[in-house]
Amino acid sequence: MKERISSPVRRVDAYEKAGGYARYIADIPFDHLLYGKLVRTSIQRGRITGIALPDLPEGYRFISEGDIPPGGVNQINMITSDWPVFTTGEVRFCGQTIGLLVGPDRQVLHELHKAVAVTYDIEEGSSTIEEGLACRGGAFVGEDNIYVEHRLKKGDPDAAFSQADRIIEDVIETGFQEHVYMEPQGITVEYSNGQLVFHASCQCPFYIRKAVAPSVAMNLEDIIVHQVTTGGAFGGKEHFPDIIASALAVAAVAIQQPIQVVFERREDISYTPKRHPSQIIFRTALDRNNRIIAMDVDARINAGAYQSCSAVVLQRTMFSANSVYDLPNVSIRGRAVATNTVPSDAFRGFGAPQGIFAAEMHMSHVARLVGEEESEFKRRCFLKQGGRTVTNGTIHEQVLLEQMWQDISLESGYYEKLKSNPSGSFRGIGVSYYLHGGGFTGNGEQALIDSHVRLKGMKDGRVELLLSTVEMGQGLATTYRKIVASALGIDISRTIFLDPSTNRVPDSGPTVASRSIMVVGRLLQRAALQLKTCWDGTREETVEIGYEHPPWVEWNQETLQGDAYPAYSWGICVTEVEVDRASFEVETKGVWTIHEVGRAIDEQIVHGQVNGGVIQALGYASLEKLELKEGRFYQNTLADYMIPTSLDFPPVYSKLVENPYEYGPFGAKGLGELVFDGAAASFAAAVQHAIGRPVGRIPVTPEYIMELMSDE
Amino acid sequence: MVDVYHPKTLEEALQFRSSTGAVPFSGGTDIMVRYRTSHGVLPDLPWPIVLLGHLKELQYLRLRKGSLCIGAETTLTDVMDHELTPPLLKQAIGLMAAPALRNLGTLAGNIGNASPAGDAVCALIALDASIELASPRGRRVVSLDLFIVGPGRTILAEDELITEIIVPIGEGHISWYKKVGTRRANALSKLSVSADWAVDDNVLTHVRIALGAVAPVVLRCRDIEDDMTGMKLPEIALQREDLMNRYKCSITPIDDQRSSAAYRKQAASNLVGAVLDEMTGGR
Repeated sequence: MKERISSPVRRVDAYEKAGGYARYIADIPFDHLLYGKLVRTSIQRGRITGIALPDLPEGYRFISEGDIPPGGVNQINMITSDWPVFTTGEVRFCGQTIGLLVGPDRQVLHELHKAVAVTYDIEEGSSTIEEGLACRGGAFVGEDNIYVEHRLKKGDPDAAFSQADRIIEDVIETGFQEHVYMEPQGITVEYSNGQLVFHASCQCPFYIRKAVAPSVAMNLEDIIVHQVTTGGAFGGKEHFPDIIASALAVAAVAIQQPIQVVFERREDISYTPKRHPSQIIFRTALDRNNRIIAMDVDARINAGAYQSCSAVVLQRTMFSANSVYDLPNVSIRGRAVATNTVPSDAFRGFGAPQGIFAAEMHMSHVARLVGEEESEFKRRCFLKQGGRTVTNGTIHEQVLLEQMWQDISLESGYYEKLKSNPSGSFRGIGVSYYLHGGGFTGNGEQALIDSHVRLKGMKDGRVELLLSTVEMGQGLATTYRKIVASALGIDISRTIFLDPSTNRVPDSGPTVASRSIMVVGRLLQRAALQLKTCWDGTREETVEIGYEHPPWVEWNQETLQGDAYPAYSWGICVTEVEVDRASFEVETKGVWTIHEVGRAIDEQIVHGQVNGGVIQALGYASLEKLELKEGRFYQNTLADYMIPTSLDFPPVYSKLVENPYEYGPFGAKGLGELVFDGAAASFAAAVQHAIGRPVGRIPVTPEYIMELMSDE
Repeated sequence: MVDVYHPKTLEEALQFRSSTGAVPFSGGTDIMVRYRTSHGVLPDLPWPIVLLGHLKELQYLRLRKGSLCIGAETTLTDVMDHELTPPLLKQAIGLMAAPALRNLGTLAGNIGNASPAGDAVCALIALDASIELASPRGRRVVSLDLFIVGPGRTILAEDELITEIIVPIGEGHISWYKKVGTRRANALSKLSVSADWAVDDNVLTHVRIALGAVAPVVLRCRDIEDDMTGMKLPEIALQREDLMNRYKCSITPIDDQRSSAAYRKQAASNLVGAVLDEMTGGR
């Protein structure tokens, strides 16, 4: 390939997906397939006192705790093992699995499902962060409903606060968000010859294997997970497939026939995890020149009824709680709060969007209160190369934010629009600055994942890529093949990337954390360069490469001190809005973005990610309201849970700035989450400029704007 | 499992309806969504249905005695696209759902569904539409405003079907429509306002303002309309705040999954203000 790496190629999966030829899990036939339907708890909190089943016709089974095979445990082996496969007594949220009805005819299953009667002793539950912290109904995690608490300190915040001329307090909140991947959750399992074989719509095939093994007391080698074409995930298929797979594993061992569970959309919205709601409280100390001398942050996230990955999400929230600013003295407290809601879980950004939103809004509130223009106020605090992060790590790379701002402020007409539309004029423009650390937090890549990739050169001159990170709509099948083809100097058509199976690929880790290109893509590039030295394209040769940590990255996982991430990607988003004076509806007039992701592996795929991420974030910021009513989501259909249509936002202006990263393939850094992180704050800032009042939470609905306007 | 009747003619449909009490099923765009279950499973319909959407004899638009008469099973798309359709109704239909749904949905369905958030109903009530009901006993015409009596409740008799929608064509009328949806397209209404009025020599000669999704039924405040009729426009402009308040006091919205009662009250009142501004050339 003589072209530079970033020049777009046609996506390798474009034809089959756009043409409707791709087969998703519900499309793949199996002989003697049975269907499974989960029987779930229908109360928020309490105890099950009885389960009355209808008479089950021949060929129908109800699988529950009693079917766990000898030696198996009623636990799902995730980061922790608190989440049971089947609920027996304690009910922690509405929608917990009690059992799995299995049978050949879905109509019959549907009737049987309606006839299952579960009785409960109902107890008072908690839904919000405040209720969780207040231990409403009594604590159910430890003494205080706190899964994890961390504290960070940079500089000497206590001393700085004691010298403050002025202290500004602020509370910023974000709500739930549903992933709305196009294809709902779905898995088919087979069991034969002592082996469990899963076919799953998922992000992390090796996670499923690890999660289900203890519940059926099987060796990892006897559990095989095939990832099948996955119609979107956004983090929603990182851990939740473990929940379905665990129940299916027990059922498959008991029944020894293929069984499929595919969710309905309403079921998926009602009972699968969401983005963590957050409440972040700031106290900011200013000196007499209105310069920030210290900031105290108290971040709480609503983790829900089981821990899942909330401890790690909390860390991202905390590490993002100063956004792109290098403040001299900072203390950050973080708590993951247990509530009786569906466990919150991974979602594009993984805690960072909450931290960034809060930090950006708070900084703009401070700027407004001291009478300074927001962008000027924020820019003075920008992190720079050599600057210190909130974990007392170092920014190793050159930071191009200032240059990016010169560019995008001109492109968007930021300063002119600011001048021509004064605060309160019902037109407004807002900006947010943001960053995202690529890869697992701290030494996770080294200590937890230790990923490997394998390249197999074949006699016919083709090369197969063997690794477990998946194509899930984001374009990885194309970008991975491009990286290998470019490094080897062969045409992309001579590379092969198949959906992975755990029995034929090495574990390159989960498809998460903006690591797929930066970390795993780098392994592929290294493997390709090595293969090039020992393979001439006429015989078989295999190369396997393992992860190597950048030597200058130091991290202490106990104290959370050091370089939380080896490198960051950077972005700026400007949004212009007009607010309707009668209905308070917001019309978005323009969205301008500029991103620095090292180097694009494929510009078209990067722009696709920018468009998708920004629009998804604008939906989060304005439309996507998810309320709880007695522990149930009130908006449980796509007629009531609103994601944006193509008419809701104008086309997104998207520009890239290059800043190659030594340890990324061809200089590439993380991308997929960065592009979600910032747009919500720029939208909210634009609205607050338009209405002349501070906005403290998202979604910024017309109802909320009316509330803000009515305190006149 | 339920019985599904597929009549060949209106007459046969009326026989099925009167003999079985089957529920009228036009495009099915509400019923099929509301009672859907899951993959490979039939919808959980609680009652027998009689299919009507295919009956050609109920699909037409024609002028009769100064009114536009629309066959009850005419699709929303056909109503919207027709040259005789009043702009207000076109606008309302144009913001309903998406083209695929409008190709199936009908006016009879939107009316029979009797949702206070029915967008076509809101426009039709502002246009003072009436509907023709047929049964084996005969036919009657009732005002649409009186036909719907509560959320999901109408005065349709057990043996009746909606056969025609009659929309008076007002010469020189001005209309105004605003839907506040849950988003900009393919959305349900949080509230909507339809208005139709006429002015002669600076005097308001007639006015109808219908408010959707702010009360158990699409609401018209006839007392306020009567008070406004005959007033000079500057006088109306002077009474703007007072009239907005009277509307605000007349509506009884609820909190639901789409919006709040407080918002609906405030926004409805503001939108009435916008109607009055348009009428009087104010602001």
